[in-house]
Amino acid sequence: MPSASSPAKHVPLAVHFGLAVAMVSAALGLTILLRNSVSITGYIFFYAAVVAASWYGGRWPGVLAVVLSTLAVEYYFMPPLHSFGVRREFLPLFIEFAASSLVISWFSSWRKEAEAALTRARSELQIRVEERTAELRQTNQQLVAEIAERQRAEEAYREAQAELARVGRMSALGTLAASISHEVNQPLAAVVTNADACSMWLASDPPNLEEVRAAVDSIAREGTRASDVIRRIRAMFTKAGSEMASVEINDLIGEVAGLMQDEISKNAVELHLELRDGLPATIADRVQLQQVIVNLVQNGIEAMTAVEDRPRRLIIRSDVTPAGEILVAVSDSGIGIEAKDQKRIFNAFFTTKAQGMGMGLSISHSIIEAHGGRLWASSNGVHGATLQFTLAAHSSTAS
Amino acid sequence: MKDPAPIVFVVDDDASVREAIRNLLASVSLRAETFGSTREFLSAQRSQSPACLVLDVRLPDVSGLEFQRELAIGGIEIPIVFITGHGDIPMSVQAMKAGAVQFLTKPFRGQELLDAIQEAIAKDRAAWERRAQTAEVRARHDSLTPREKEVMNLVVAGLLNKQIAAELGASELTIKTHRGRVMEKMQADSVAALVRMAEKLKSSAVRE
Repeated sequence: MPSASSPAKHVPLAVHFGLAVAMVSAALGLTILLRNSVSITGYIFFYAAVVAASWYGGRWPGVLAVVLSTLAVEYYFMPPLHSFGVRREFLPLFIEFAASSLVISWFSSWRKEAEAALTRARSELQIRVEERTAELRQTNQQLVAEIAERQRAEEAYREAQAELARVGRMSALGTLAASISHEVNQPLAAVVTNADACSMWLASDPPNLEEVRAAVDSIAREGTRASDVIRRIRAMFTKAGSEMASVEINDLIGEVAGLMQDEISKNAVELHLELRDGLPATIADRVQLQQVIVNLVQNGIEAMTAVEDRPRRLIIRSDVTPAGEILVAVSDSGIGIEAKDQKRIFNAFFTTKAQGMGMGLSISHSIIEAHGGRLWASSNGVHGATLQFTLAAHSSTAS
Repeated sequence: MKDPAPIVFVVDDDASVREAIRNLLASVSLRAETFGSTREFLSAQRSQSPACLVLDVRLPDVSGLEFQRELAIGGIEIPIVFITGHGDIPMSVQAMKAGAVQFLTKPFRGQELLDAIQEAIAKDRAAWERRAQTAEVRARHDSLTPREKEVMNLVVAGLLNKQIAAELGASELTIKTHRGRVMEKMQADSVAALVRMAEKLKSSAVRE
């Protein structure tokens, strides 16, 4: 038998046919019982039995119910009663009953099948939806893991890059140190050798004072030369390749904020720009000035790495002082600077940070001084510090 | 053999360092000749006396270490004392391996330099004497006739007079006479001494 009987998957077919028989019997009983007491039109109970048998039992139990009902009606209610013959004038009535019960049965079982198919389709759909949801959930988890992995890789990449840059700076400094030490050791070698020659000339008998005087002169000359070398190196650092041009400070601050965006967001720092409109331009070396602002921002970020109990807030402010100079201030909410360190932080190789070289602020200080400005540090009261510098305004381009 | 006064060559591009070293050497009566570059040093006339070279590592034309190699390739034997304004360990190891006497970092003490220079001069004096002896032996060897040279070669090869006579197709008496003249001209008092002289000639010939 096809899948028509599917609503009762677990119930044997015999039970369905038995149900059909029982229904028809009940209809027959009820009709006989109630025929004389209540006015009943037609064979309503038989129709009900056919509908019920077709609905619950499926197509073939329905057909059985139709056959049994037809026989029962014919036998009990179609004159001549209690026989299987039908009188001619009752034939249309009988056929009508048989046909209509067949149609009802067919319709009922068709409805039932349609409904069962629908239920089946729904449950299949639900299963499919659940499967798909599970798949999607898994895919989603994979994606989350992949994103995390990617973020880790990016972080590692960025750290490697920073490390590389640091090593690059270190090796550049190493080369620089080698060349500086060579430059300085040259006159020092002359000084020491001359001093030793001096002792020798003094120890000879009689002491050769003429040679001693020549050597001492030479020592003084070489000492001066060593200090010249150092002065030249300092000058090289502050002036080398300097290209002075008109610079809009606010533009420069915007550029630095863009450059440092990664660093700022990586350290969960909120950056606020408080830029004064209509700031006059200044005459400066753009690259060096940019380096100063980068150093100050970097310094502020590093001062806040240990801060967890309050927002890490970095404010870059530009303004005009009462004396008409341009002022740039970088404030942080970090660990602050102790009063005794407020001057020392500008010394080369001074640092309070575990990973600092102590060069940034020292170089910045030299650059600002070379521009005829001033860079100083102050404490912010409760939290953090402000580093600020002033530069002369270039009056003709003031807007 | 007379012993000429030693001479110290100084090559440093820094004039004041050169002068300071010259002054220091003068204070201990050491003769110095100074040069601003390796080229100047090479073109200078070098006298036949024990010498050493005080060489700066960083020079304008060629590095001191490179120059040390060039001298070795050119067969110029002179002990070197390196001085440098900024030396590192690999650099000094390289220099010492290539035979440098000392590697001093500026600023060095005068006594350190003088000690190194004395050591270098002693080394060169020994080498110089060795070279002088070799030259002497060579002069004696050159005074031999071709026949005597042949006889000498066979003697130092350990052959007896009889064997040499057979080899050269001459009488044993003739060989004996040649042999006596070889010993006399080479100023060798034994066959062993003659063998040593032959070795010396051979090794100097190989070097040239």
